Amino acid sequence: MDHVSVRMTVNGVLVERQVPARTSLADFVRDELGLTGTHLGCEHGVCGACAVLVDGSSVRSCLMLAAQASGAEVTTVEGLPHSGRTARLRDAMSRHHGLQCGFCTSGFLITATELLTDADAVEAPDEGTVREVLSGNVCRCTGYQGIVRAVLEVAGGGATAPSGGEPAARGGGPGAAATAGQQR
Amino acid sequence: MSGSDTSWLGQSLPRHEDQRLLTGRGRFLADTARGCVHACFVRSTQAHARVRSVKTGSAAALPGVLAVLTAEDLGLDGAHLPMLHEPHPGFAEVTRFAMSDPRLPILASVRVHYVGQPIAVVVAESRHVAEDAAELVEVEYETLPPVLDPTAALAPDAPTLHAHLPTNEAARIEVGFGDVDEARRAAAVTVSDTLRIGRHGAVPLECRGVVARVDDRRDRVEVWTSTQIPHLVQQALCRVTGWARDEVRVAVPDVGGGFGTKANVYAEEVVVPVAARKLGRDIAWVEDRQEYLMSAAQGRDQVHHATLAVDANGRVLSWEDDFVVDVGASSLWTAGIIANTAIHLMGPYRVPAMRVTGRAAYTNKTIVAQYRGAGRPEACFALERCLDAAARRLGMSPEEIRRVNLLTADDLPYPRPIPYRDGVPISYDGRDYRACFDSCLEMLPRTVCDELRENYPEHDLGYGVATYMEATGRGPYETGRVRLLPSGRFEVATGAASAGQGHETTFAQVAADALRVSPDRIRVGNGDTDPVTYGVGTFASRSAVLAGSAVHLAATRLADRACGYAAMLLDTDAAGVVLGAGGFRADDGRVVDWTDLAAAFGPGGRLEGQPSLDELAQFRPQTVTWTMGVHAVVVGVHRDTGLTSVLRYAVAHEGGAEINPRIVEGQVIGGVAQGIGGALLEEFRYSPEGQPTSTTFADYLLPGMCEVPQIAVKHLYVPTAGNPIGVRGAGESGAIAAYAAIAAAVDDAVGGGDWRVTSVPIAPEQVRAAIARRSAAVAS
Ligand code: FES
Ligand code: FES
Repeated sequence: MDHVSVRMTVNGVLVERQVPARTSLADFVRDELGLTGTHLGCEHGVCGACAVLVDGSSVRSCLMLAAQASGAEVTTVEGLPHSGRTARLRDAMSRHHGLQCGFCTSGFLITATELLTDADAVEAPDEGTVREVLSGNVCRCTGYQGIVRAVLEVAGGGATAPSGGEPAARGGGPGAAATAGQQR
Repeated sequence: MSGSDTSWLGQSLPRHEDQRLLTGRGRFLADTARGCVHACFVRSTQAHARVRSVKTGSAAALPGVLAVLTAEDLGLDGAHLPMLHEPHPGFAEVTRFAMSDPRLPILASVRVHYVGQPIAVVVAESRHVAEDAAELVEVEYETLPPVLDPTAALAPDAPTLHAHLPTNEAARIEVGFGDVDEARRAAAVTVSDTLRIGRHGAVPLECRGVVARVDDRRDRVEVWTSTQIPHLVQQALCRVTGWARDEVRVAVPDVGGGFGTKANVYAEEVVVPVAARKLGRDIAWVEDRQEYLMSAAQGRDQVHHATLAVDANGRVLSWEDDFVVDVGASSLWTAGIIANTAIHLMGPYRVPAMRVTGRAAYTNKTIVAQYRGAGRPEACFALERCLDAAARRLGMSPEEIRRVNLLTADDLPYPRPIPYRDGVPISYDGRDYRACFDSCLEMLPRTVCDELRENYPEHDLGYGVATYMEATGRGPYETGRVRLLPSGRFEVATGAASAGQGHETTFAQVAADALRVSPDRIRVGNGDTDPVTYGVGTFASRSAVLAGSAVHLAATRLADRACGYAAMLLDTDAAGVVLGAGGFRADDGRVVDWTDLAAAFGPGGRLEGQPSLDELAQFRPQTVTWTMGVHAVVVGVHRDTGLTSVLRYAVAHEGGAEINPRIVEGQVIGGVAQGIGGALLEEFRYSPEGQPTSTTFADYLLPGMCEVPQIAVKHLYVPTAGNPIGVRGAGESGAIAAYAAIAAAVDDAVGGGDWRVTSVPIAPEQVRAAIARRSAAVAS
């Protein structure tokens, strides 16, 4: 089988390995480096559980070959900082019960970190924006409520849309984007 | 945190499991596979066929392949898994319950019954090699016509799918009381409908997986499996192989969601350990998504023919239903599903006469297990849809017809003239179901629809309500174990494995409450047959009720015995020792704490050689406890696409005491999200040849962030006397009424005339047709 040499920085550590050419970035960090916090929920690019940051942008590591990330700076959930916004996000996720089984959690942390640190992003995203940005990540357990609340809290954005009686602001809230999602 | 005199029950403590899960240090099945060789299953590519031959030669010759094994090679020829549930004989007699055992082979060698059925297993040095080799195994089939429709499967002339059975009937049940025919004669309105709930299922984000490690020192095999029921896996494995219980340990790592699909015993859970023992190698099987969507147990898939008769005031006079469940090629849970469906058809209403017949049928679709609700959502859909239809005919509102029929404080507790599955006569042990209904409507009244309308100019808005009953906390028993560790901390174990329900947190709270210590001194292991020899597992909304109660009993007993030891250390009488937050206190104020006690068991300590503080307790409930609830929803139906968006959602439920309210709320909300998926998106589809076509997440659609709105939950606190901690189950309740509520709201948005939602997932093209008909009617 064809092997290739890959060399990249993962969570601040330079690593170099010979791997079969078809090794995905996900398998590389999990099997070669033992960083099993990156999870595989579908291996076909839909669920987002495998998200990692490559040079600061979130990618689905199941769809990327390790060789394609050669030379890059990769951050997995294990490498996310333990201070600042990410720490606050973890804390908020726990307080708002943004996780149950925790299988999707790494992917959400990666995607949300990207949102929270994106210089071009709106200052304080509203619920609609947060939902749209995170809509590529699937959670089967929580119904998303706690995740949305946690991200909004850390982003300093507005309160979440009402669930019961009060009407939402025009265009906001989950309903507006829902139809697009259904056509996925 | 220090000990406290306030109760640890009822507090929304942060979850102990979060810390590791938020830092990527969870240990899920695939994360434990290091050092293993890999298994890949050769699966049937045909829905129904005779197997002429299985040729493994070229696969076995591939470099890196250790073995290619069929049933015969593994000594599993003709072996099948045992059924996982049989109702109490008393229940079976009254309901004329009967079922058949499909005896689906663990590895097929003669005939295949669904696409995805395992035929052989390849073991290789890497997963890639195992997969490549599996493709080289040549299976020669003689195709047989597939049977895909459950009603056709039950027809007298249908070809029988399981050779040892006379028909395709998997089970039958009859439940009834009152004189239905007589009651119906007095009806002002009678509505009849055929209602379908499509085939969908749990689809946890983590697929299945098994790691089997051979422990030669102890002459046993350790099986790590992503399951909700380790003890039932162990039992089935021993039954099939003849191994003694102590030759097998079954343990559960972190589990990435279960929802019933993992409360099942699978062929793979037998094959991997048997192969590991045969080859003397540690073997991992990690399922991929396509494999899961083809071969893991699915759910629902029912058709109901229902007739409801009401008087001029909307009062229910009689209720009839004849339903068919499609259990696919096999289900080890057929009895539970069909009985649940039949019983829950009564709903939280005054129903004076009922006649229900149900049958389950084998087809050539994938196997079935219980999926969150397990028959209850289907029953709820049938009854609630008929109530809506009757209300419309009478010109009443859906709210009014429910208020007329809901049980109130005057009716409850409400005995029913039939037994539950455990043989005990049913009695709803609630407080006031109509009050619960009203409190849900208060949270989300119909008027919200009008208020929202201008925000959604492209949508038609509609409002729906539905109610449900849920029997929770089914027996027979669960085990809890609490032991004092040398440090003065504690370890808790139960038979109920966690798949995300937060057991490490809630069971610690229960134990902490009885031991009068802070929960952070308590560690809770996940399901494991080592610390707890006998257990049942996590399903049927039973863990908090049964395992929670068992932990409470064990911890209480441990505290009692500890008082005796504390008295020895304090040189006083046990009667004079009181356990409080600070420790054990004698009359004269002297105190020893748990750490002193633990240390005293050490060499030379005053308790050296005494029986250790280690308590095991079994909790056996007398019968189930009932949770009732109400869902209200506002949907928007897009006029052009016919797609439905859920805009507002509220749930009120009569739950019991809560161990951790946020966790209960999370269960309800998560259940609603899955209900939304089942009502609008999710379906396992099959081609006319029986090929599954929903085998990726592009075809099997899970609800995403934009499909699930914020969900308001109101918990009405109605503790039950049925268990020592007063809790009622809530794990499934969120999913149950979502189908009916959403269907009602879609009707309200675009119905009118004759059309109404009778089938889920709701097909956008049907909705579009209804919108077109309505516009045509308006125009003419
Ligand atoms: S595993 Fe990569 S997107 Fe699902
Ligand atoms: S917490 Fe289980 S999938 Fe999100």
